[in-house]
Amino acid sequence: MDIFTIGFWLVGGILFFLSVIKNKEKSKEAMKKSKGMMKNMIGDIIGIIFMIGLILTFIPPETIEKVLGSDNTLLSSFVAALVGSITLIPAFVAFPLVGSFVDAGASIVPGVAFLTTLTMVGVVTFPLEKKEFGTKFAVTRNLLSFGAAISIAILMGVIL
Amino acid sequence: MMKELLKKNKVSLIIIVIYASLMVVQRDTAFLALSNSTYYLIEMAQILPVIFMLTVAIDVLIPKDWIVKRLGEKSGLGGAVLALAFGSLSAGPIYAAFPIAKTLHKKGASIGNVVVILSAWAVIKVPMLANEAKFLGTDFMAVRWVLTVVCIFVIGLIMEKRRIKIEDDEVQDKQVITVKQAYCIGCTACEKGMPEVFGMKDGKAYVIQPEIKMENLDEQAKKQLMSMAKKCPPKAIEING
Repeated sequence: MDIFTIGFWLVGGILFFLSVIKNKEKSKEAMKKSKGMMKNMIGDIIGIIFMIGLILTFIPPETIEKVLGSDNTLLSSFVAALVGSITLIPAFVAFPLVGSFVDAGASIVPGVAFLTTLTMVGVVTFPLEKKEFGTKFAVTRNLLSFGAAISIAILMGVIL
Repeated sequence: MMKELLKKNKVSLIIIVIYASLMVVQRDTAFLALSNSTYYLIEMAQILPVIFMLTVAIDVLIPKDWIVKRLGEKSGLGGAVLALAFGSLSAGPIYAAFPIAKTLHKKGASIGNVVVILSAWAVIKVPMLANEAKFLGTDFMAVRWVLTVVCIFVIGLIMEKRRIKIEDDEVQDKQVITVKQAYCIGCTACEKGMPEVFGMKDGKAYVIQPEIKMENLDEQAKKQLMSMAKKCPPKAIEING
Protein backbone atom coordinates (compact mmCIF):
# COMPACT_ATOMS: atom_id res chain seq x y z
CA MET A 1 0.00 0.00 0.00
CA ASP A 2 1.39 3.43 -0.86
CA ILE A 3 1.36 6.27 1.60
CA PHE A 4 -1.71 7.87 0.02
CA THR A 5 -3.79 4.74 0.29
CA ILE A 6 -2.74 4.43 3.93
CA GLY A 7 -3.76 8.04 4.53
CA PHE A 8 -7.06 7.36 2.80
CA TRP A 9 -7.62 4.40 5.12
CA LEU A 10 -6.83 6.53 8.15
CA VAL A 11 -9.20 9.34 7.14
CA GLY A 12 -11.94 6.89 6.16
CA GLY A 13 -11.51 4.92 9.37
CA ILE A 14 -11.60 7.96 11.64
CA LEU A 15 -14.67 9.42 9.92
CA PHE A 16 -16.42 6.07 10.05
CA PHE A 17 -15.61 5.75 13.76
CA LEU A 18 -16.98 9.26 14.38
CA SER A 19 -20.20 8.39 12.52
CA VAL A 20 -20.81 5.35 14.68
CA ILE A 21 -20.17 7.34 17.85
CA LYS A 22 -22.38 10.18 16.73
CA ASN A 23 -25.38 8.15 15.72
CA LYS A 24 -25.35 4.40 15.93
CA GLU A 25 -28.80 3.86 14.46
CA LYS A 26 -28.26 6.15 11.50
CA SER A 27 -24.87 4.58 10.86
CA LYS A 28 -26.42 1.15 10.78
CA GLU A 29 -28.95 2.32 8.25
CA ALA A 30 -26.24 4.01 6.17
CA MET A 31 -24.16 0.84 6.28
CA LYS A 32 -27.11 -1.14 4.99
CA LYS A 33 -27.56 1.33 2.14
CA SER A 34 -23.86 1.35 1.33
CA LYS A 35 -23.71 -2.43 1.45
CA GLY A 36 -26.57 -2.59 -1.06
CA MET A 37 -24.80 -0.16 -3.35
CA MET A 38 -21.53 -2.10 -3.14
CA LYS A 39 -23.25 -5.42 -3.73
CA ASN A 40 -24.83 -3.96 -6.81
CA MET A 41 -21.45 -2.87 -8.17
CA ILE A 42 -19.03 -5.57 -7.09
CA GLY A 43 -19.89 -8.05 -9.84
CA ASP A 44 -19.35 -5.40 -12.49
CA ILE A 45 -16.12 -4.21 -10.88
CA ILE A 46 -14.65 -7.71 -10.86
CA GLY A 47 -15.78 -8.12 -14.46
CA ILE A 48 -14.07 -4.84 -15.35
CA ILE A 49 -10.85 -5.96 -13.67
CA PHE A 50 -10.65 -9.19 -15.63
CA MET A 51 -11.49 -7.22 -18.76
CA ILE A 52 -8.52 -4.95 -18.04
CA GLY A 53 -6.36 -8.06 -17.72
CA LEU A 54 -7.49 -9.18 -21.19
CA ILE A 55 -6.93 -5.76 -22.73
CA LEU A 56 -3.45 -5.48 -21.23
CA THR A 57 -2.64 -8.84 -22.76
CA PHE A 58 -3.86 -7.92 -26.21
CA ILE A 59 -2.71 -4.29 -26.20
CA PRO A 60 0.67 -4.56 -24.43
CA PRO A 61 2.95 -1.53 -23.80
CA GLU A 62 4.83 -2.42 -27.01
CA THR A 63 1.73 -1.64 -29.07
CA ILE A 64 1.37 1.68 -27.29
CA GLU A 65 5.03 2.41 -28.02
CA LYS A 66 4.40 1.84 -31.71
CA VAL A 67 1.50 4.30 -31.68
CA LEU A 68 3.39 6.96 -29.76
CA GLY A 69 6.46 6.70 -31.97
CA SER A 70 4.63 7.08 -35.28
CA ASP A 71 5.77 9.86 -37.66
CA ASN A 72 2.28 11.12 -38.43
CA THR A 73 1.59 13.21 -35.30
CA LEU A 74 -2.03 14.01 -36.12
CA LEU A 75 -3.05 10.42 -36.75
CA SER A 76 -0.97 9.03 -33.91
CA SER A 77 -2.47 11.55 -31.46
CA PHE A 78 -5.95 10.42 -32.36
CA VAL A 79 -5.04 6.75 -32.15
CA ALA A 80 -3.17 7.35 -28.88
CA ALA A 81 -6.29 9.02 -27.45
CA LEU A 82 -8.37 6.01 -28.53
CA VAL A 83 -5.91 3.52 -27.07
CA GLY A 84 -5.83 5.54 -23.85
CA SER A 85 -9.62 5.41 -23.65
CA ILE A 86 -9.67 1.64 -23.92
CA THR A 87 -6.74 0.64 -21.73
CA LEU A 88 -6.31 1.32 -18.05
CA ILE A 89 -2.61 0.85 -17.42
CA PRO A 90 -1.22 2.02 -14.07
CA ALA A 91 0.20 5.54 -13.92
CA PHE A 92 3.59 4.29 -12.80
CA VAL A 93 3.86 2.42 -16.11
CA ALA A 94 2.33 5.14 -18.28
CA PHE A 95 4.49 8.08 -17.18
CA PRO A 96 7.89 6.43 -17.73
CA LEU A 97 6.61 5.08 -21.06
CA VAL A 98 5.62 8.53 -22.34
CA GLY A 99 8.70 10.05 -20.70
CA SER A 100 11.05 7.80 -22.66
CA PHE A 101 9.44 8.96 -25.91
CA VAL A 102 9.64 12.62 -25.08
CA ASP A 103 13.29 12.18 -24.09
CA ALA A 104 13.94 10.48 -27.40
CA GLY A 105 12.64 13.58 -29.19
CA ALA A 106 9.14 12.45 -30.22
CA SER A 107 6.27 14.97 -30.25
CA ILE A 108 4.55 15.30 -26.89
CA VAL A 109 1.07 15.66 -28.41
CA PRO A 110 0.27 11.93 -28.79
CA GLY A 111 1.74 11.26 -25.34
CA VAL A 112 -0.44 13.87 -23.65
CA ALA A 113 -3.54 12.68 -25.52
CA PHE A 114 -2.79 9.15 -24.33
CA LEU A 115 -2.11 10.13 -20.70
CA THR A 116 -5.27 12.21 -20.44
CA THR A 117 -7.74 9.77 -21.99
CA LEU A 118 -6.09 6.96 -20.04
CA THR A 119 -7.64 8.23 -16.85
CA MET A 120 -10.48 10.52 -17.91
CA VAL A 121 -12.22 8.36 -20.53
CA GLY A 122 -13.25 4.87 -19.51
CA VAL A 123 -14.56 2.54 -22.20
CA VAL A 124 -14.11 -0.45 -19.90
CA THR A 125 -15.80 1.19 -16.94
CA PHE A 126 -18.55 2.57 -19.20
CA PRO A 127 -21.13 -0.18 -18.47
CA LEU A 128 -20.80 0.47 -14.75
CA GLU A 129 -20.91 4.25 -15.16
CA LYS A 130 -24.01 3.86 -17.32
CA LYS A 131 -25.67 1.64 -14.74
CA GLU A 132 -24.91 3.98 -11.86
CA PHE A 133 -25.48 7.37 -13.51
CA GLY A 134 -27.56 6.72 -16.63
CA THR A 135 -26.72 6.50 -20.32
CA LYS A 136 -26.93 10.21 -21.08
CA PHE A 137 -24.61 11.14 -18.23
CA ALA A 138 -22.01 8.50 -19.07
CA VAL A 139 -22.01 9.18 -22.82
CA THR A 140 -21.81 12.96 -22.42
CA ARG A 141 -19.07 12.84 -19.79
CA ASN A 142 -16.89 10.43 -21.76
CA LEU A 143 -17.34 12.25 -25.08
CA LEU A 144 -16.59 15.65 -23.54
CA SER A 145 -13.56 14.17 -21.78
CA PHE A 146 -12.27 12.73 -25.05
CA GLY A 147 -12.59 16.13 -26.71
CA ALA A 148 -10.92 17.75 -23.73
CA ALA A 149 -8.00 15.32 -23.91
CA ILE A 150 -7.40 16.16 -27.59
CA SER A 151 -7.59 19.90 -26.84
CA ILE A 152 -5.20 19.58 -23.91
CA ALA A 153 -2.76 17.64 -26.08
CA ILE A 154 -2.82 20.21 -28.89
CA LEU A 155 -2.46 23.14 -26.46
CA MET A 156 0.46 21.42 -24.73
CA GLY A 157 2.11 20.98 -28.12
CA VAL A 158 1.75 24.72 -28.76
CA ILE A 159 2.84 25.88 -25.28
CA LEU A 160 5.81 23.60 -24.61
CA MET B 1 -35.09 -15.48 -12.11
CA MET B 2 -32.32 -17.14 -14.11
CA LYS B 3 -32.97 -14.85 -17.05
CA GLU B 4 -32.85 -11.81 -14.80
CA LEU B 5 -29.57 -12.97 -13.29
CA LEU B 6 -28.05 -13.43 -16.73
CA LYS B 7 -29.24 -10.03 -17.89
CA LYS B 8 -27.86 -8.32 -14.81
CA ASN B 9 -24.43 -9.88 -15.19
CA LYS B 10 -24.17 -9.65 -18.96
CA VAL B 11 -20.72 -8.06 -18.88
CA SER B 12 -19.28 -10.62 -16.46
CA LEU B 13 -20.77 -13.42 -18.50
CA ILE B 14 -19.13 -12.21 -21.72
CA ILE B 15 -15.79 -12.01 -19.93
CA ILE B 16 -16.11 -15.50 -18.50
CA VAL B 17 -16.88 -16.81 -21.99
CA ILE B 18 -13.80 -15.03 -23.41
CA TYR B 19 -11.56 -16.47 -20.70
CA ALA B 20 -13.02 -19.95 -21.09
CA SER B 21 -12.45 -19.96 -24.85
CA LEU B 22 -8.94 -18.57 -24.38
CA MET B 23 -8.22 -21.38 -21.93
CA VAL B 24 -9.04 -23.83 -24.68
CA VAL B 25 -7.29 -22.08 -27.57
CA GLN B 26 -4.36 -20.30 -25.95
CA ARG B 27 -3.76 -21.41 -22.41
CA ASP B 28 -0.73 -19.18 -21.86
CA THR B 29 -2.53 -16.03 -22.98
CA ALA B 30 -5.40 -16.75 -20.62
CA PHE B 31 -3.02 -17.13 -17.69
CA LEU B 32 -1.15 -13.98 -18.68
CA ALA B 33 -4.45 -12.06 -18.71
CA LEU B 34 -5.35 -13.48 -15.31
CA SER B 35 -2.02 -12.47 -13.82
CA ASN B 36 -2.36 -9.02 -15.41
CA SER B 37 -5.62 -8.66 -13.50
CA THR B 38 -4.16 -9.38 -10.07
CA TYR B 39 -2.68 -5.91 -9.58
CA TYR B 40 -6.15 -4.44 -10.02
CA LEU B 41 -7.82 -7.00 -7.79
CA ILE B 42 -5.41 -6.07 -4.99
CA GLU B 43 -6.06 -2.39 -5.64
CA MET B 44 -9.81 -3.02 -5.41
CA ALA B 45 -9.48 -4.94 -2.15
CA GLN B 46 -7.44 -2.09 -0.69
CA ILE B 47 -9.83 0.66 -1.71
CA LEU B 48 -13.40 -0.64 -1.47
CA PRO B 49 -13.50 -0.93 2.35
CA VAL B 50 -12.48 2.72 2.61
CA ILE B 51 -15.16 3.68 0.11
CA PHE B 52 -17.69 1.80 2.21
CA MET B 53 -16.63 3.67 5.36
CA LEU B 54 -16.59 7.02 3.56
CA THR B 55 -20.08 6.67 2.08
CA VAL B 56 -21.38 5.88 5.57
CA ALA B 57 -19.52 8.88 7.04
CA ILE B 58 -20.87 11.21 4.34
CA ASP B 59 -24.36 9.96 5.02
CA VAL B 60 -24.17 10.34 8.79
CA LEU B 61 -21.76 13.21 9.48
CA ILE B 62 -22.43 15.76 6.75
CA PRO B 63 -25.78 17.54 7.01
CA LYS B 64 -27.80 17.79 3.83
CA ASP B 65 -27.96 21.59 4.04
CA TRP B 66 -24.20 21.80 4.11
CA ILE B 67 -23.84 19.74 0.92
CA VAL B 68 -26.59 21.69 -0.83
CA LYS B 69 -24.88 24.95 0.14
CA ARG B 70 -21.30 23.90 -0.60
CA LEU B 71 -21.72 21.51 -3.53
CA GLY B 72 -25.25 22.25 -4.73
CA GLU B 73 -26.40 24.03 -7.86
CA LYS B 74 -25.79 27.46 -6.37
CA SER B 75 -22.36 26.71 -4.92
CA GLY B 76 -20.62 28.33 -7.91
CA LEU B 77 -16.85 28.34 -8.34
CA GLY B 78 -16.31 27.65 -4.63
CA GLY B 79 -18.26 24.40 -4.98
CA ALA B 80 -16.25 23.40 -8.04
CA VAL B 81 -12.96 24.06 -6.20
CA LEU B 82 -14.15 22.01 -3.23
CA ALA B 83 -15.17 19.17 -5.55
CA LEU B 84 -11.78 19.41 -7.27
CA ALA B 85 -9.90 19.22 -3.96
CA PHE B 86 -12.02 16.32 -2.80
CA GLY B 87 -11.41 14.32 -5.98
CA SER B 88 -7.68 15.10 -6.09
CA LEU B 89 -7.01 14.12 -2.50
CA SER B 90 -8.75 10.76 -2.74
CA ALA B 91 -7.11 7.49 -3.67
CA GLY B 92 -8.22 4.64 -5.88
CA PRO B 93 -9.49 4.02 -9.42
CA ILE B 94 -12.41 5.89 -10.97
CA TYR B 95 -15.01 3.23 -10.21
CA ALA B 96 -14.29 3.79 -6.50
CA ALA B 97 -15.52 7.35 -7.01
CA PHE B 98 -18.93 6.18 -8.27
CA PRO B 99 -20.49 5.30 -4.87
CA ILE B 100 -19.06 8.45 -3.29
CA ALA B 101 -20.32 10.71 -6.07
CA LYS B 102 -23.72 9.04 -5.96
CA THR B 103 -24.03 9.46 -2.21
CA LEU B 104 -23.10 13.14 -2.50
CA HIS B 105 -25.55 13.65 -5.35
CA LYS B 106 -28.37 12.09 -3.35
CA LYS B 107 -27.63 14.57 -0.59
CA GLY B 108 -27.75 17.57 -2.91
CA ALA B 109 -24.46 17.91 -4.83
CA SER B 110 -25.05 19.29 -8.32
CA ILE B 111 -24.36 17.38 -11.55
CA GLY B 112 -21.53 19.75 -12.42
CA ASN B 113 -19.78 19.10 -9.13
CA VAL B 114 -20.35 15.35 -9.43
CA VAL B 115 -18.58 15.50 -12.80
CA VAL B 116 -15.73 17.54 -11.29
CA ILE B 117 -15.28 15.01 -8.47
CA LEU B 118 -15.29 12.05 -10.87
CA SER B 119 -12.86 13.69 -13.31
CA ALA B 120 -10.52 15.02 -10.63
CA TRP B 121 -10.58 11.63 -8.95
CA ALA B 122 -9.53 10.02 -12.23
CA VAL B 123 -6.99 12.45 -13.62
CA ILE B 124 -5.31 14.79 -11.18
CA LYS B 125 -4.48 12.81 -8.10
CA VAL B 126 -1.61 14.12 -6.01
CA PRO B 127 0.59 10.98 -6.04
CA MET B 128 0.16 10.80 -9.80
CA LEU B 129 1.32 14.39 -10.19
CA ALA B 130 4.54 13.61 -8.32
CA ASN B 131 5.09 10.65 -10.59
CA GLU B 132 4.44 12.75 -13.69
CA ALA B 133 6.88 15.48 -12.58
CA LYS B 134 9.53 12.84 -12.00
CA PHE B 135 9.32 11.30 -15.47
CA LEU B 136 8.18 14.21 -17.63
CA GLY B 137 9.40 17.29 -15.80
CA THR B 138 7.73 19.83 -13.56
CA ASP B 139 6.81 22.17 -16.45
CA PHE B 140 5.05 19.39 -18.31
CA MET B 141 3.15 18.36 -15.20
CA ALA B 142 2.19 21.93 -14.24
CA VAL B 143 0.92 22.88 -17.71
CA ARG B 144 -1.05 19.66 -18.06
CA TRP B 145 -2.52 20.17 -14.58
CA VAL B 146 -3.71 23.71 -15.33
CA LEU B 147 -5.20 22.75 -18.69
CA THR B 148 -6.89 19.68 -17.20
CA VAL B 149 -8.43 21.64 -14.33
CA VAL B 150 -9.83 24.21 -16.78
CA CYS B 151 -11.24 21.42 -18.96
CA ILE B 152 -12.80 19.61 -15.99
CA PHE B 153 -14.55 22.81 -14.89
CA VAL B 154 -15.80 23.42 -18.43
CA ILE B 155 -17.11 19.85 -18.73
CA GLY B 156 -18.87 20.19 -15.38
CA LEU B 157 -20.37 23.49 -16.45
CA ILE B 158 -21.58 22.12 -19.79
CA MET B 159 -23.22 19.12 -18.15
CA GLU B 160 -24.83 21.36 -15.56
CA LYS B 161 -26.16 23.79 -18.18
CA ARG B 162 -27.40 21.03 -20.47
CA ARG B 163 -29.38 19.73 -17.50
CA ILE B 164 -28.09 16.19 -17.85
CA LYS B 165 -29.76 14.14 -15.17
CA ILE B 166 -28.43 11.21 -13.22
CA GLU B 167 -30.68 8.25 -13.75
CA ASP B 168 -30.49 5.25 -11.59
CA ASP B 169 -31.00 1.92 -13.31
CA GLU B 170 -31.96 0.20 -10.09
CA VAL B 171 -34.98 2.38 -9.48
CA GLN B 172 -36.09 2.24 -13.08
CA ASP B 173 -35.83 -1.50 -13.24
CA LYS B 174 -37.98 -2.02 -10.21
CA GLN B 175 -41.51 -2.71 -11.30
CA VAL B 176 -44.17 -1.27 -9.08
CA ILE B 177 -46.98 -3.61 -10.06
CA THR B 178 -46.26 -7.22 -10.95
CA VAL B 179 -48.34 -10.30 -11.55
CA LYS B 180 -46.51 -13.37 -10.34
CA GLN B 181 -46.99 -15.64 -13.31
CA ALA B 182 -46.47 -18.84 -11.34
CA TYR B 183 -49.36 -18.01 -9.01
CA CYS B 184 -51.89 -16.55 -11.46
CA ILE B 185 -54.78 -18.92 -12.14
CA GLY B 186 -56.17 -16.85 -15.01
CA CYS B 187 -59.47 -15.99 -13.32
CA THR B 188 -59.57 -12.62 -15.21
CA ALA B 189 -60.94 -10.82 -12.12
CA CYS B 190 -58.24 -8.14 -12.28
CA GLU B 191 -58.63 -7.66 -16.01
CA LYS B 192 -62.37 -7.12 -15.62
CA GLY B 193 -61.89 -4.83 -12.62
CA MET B 194 -59.13 -2.64 -14.03
CA PRO B 195 -58.77 -3.21 -17.77
CA GLU B 196 -56.57 -0.10 -18.02
CA VAL B 197 -53.92 -1.77 -15.86
CA PHE B 198 -54.25 -5.51 -16.41
CA GLY B 199 -54.54 -7.56 -19.56
CA MET B 200 -54.64 -11.30 -20.30
CA LYS B 201 -51.99 -13.16 -22.26
CA ASP B 202 -51.84 -16.95 -22.73
CA GLY B 203 -54.41 -17.48 -19.97
CA LYS B 204 -52.47 -15.41 -17.41
CA ALA B 205 -52.82 -11.82 -16.28
CA TYR B 206 -50.04 -9.28 -16.95
CA VAL B 207 -49.41 -5.58 -16.36
CA ILE B 208 -50.03 -3.66 -19.59
CA GLN B 209 -47.59 -0.85 -18.76
CA PRO B 210 -44.75 -2.33 -16.73
CA GLU B 211 -43.25 1.15 -16.23
CA ILE B 212 -46.39 2.44 -14.48
CA LYS B 213 -45.64 4.32 -11.23
CA MET B 214 -47.81 4.71 -8.13
CA GLU B 215 -47.43 8.50 -8.08
CA ASN B 216 -48.92 8.69 -11.57
CA LEU B 217 -52.16 7.10 -10.42
CA ASP B 218 -54.95 9.10 -8.81
CA GLU B 219 -56.21 8.30 -5.32
CA GLN B 220 -59.21 6.34 -6.52
CA ALA B 221 -57.15 4.19 -8.85
CA LYS B 222 -54.66 3.53 -6.08
CA LYS B 223 -57.39 2.36 -3.72
CA GLN B 224 -58.96 0.22 -6.41
CA LEU B 225 -55.60 -1.34 -7.17
CA MET B 226 -54.95 -2.16 -3.53
CA SER B 227 -58.32 -3.84 -3.09
CA MET B 228 -57.79 -5.65 -6.40
CA ALA B 229 -54.52 -7.09 -5.10
CA LYS B 230 -56.29 -8.20 -1.95
CA LYS B 231 -59.18 -9.74 -3.86
CA CYS B 232 -56.97 -11.70 -6.25
CA PRO B 233 -57.74 -15.32 -5.30
CA PRO B 234 -54.17 -16.72 -5.42
CA LYS B 235 -52.66 -13.35 -4.27
CA ALA B 236 -50.60 -13.14 -7.45
CA ILE B 237 -50.64 -9.32 -7.65
CA GLU B 238 -47.68 -7.66 -5.99
CA ILE B 239 -47.45 -3.93 -5.33
CA ASN B 240 -44.25 -2.18 -4.26
CA GLY B 241 -44.27 1.46 -3.30
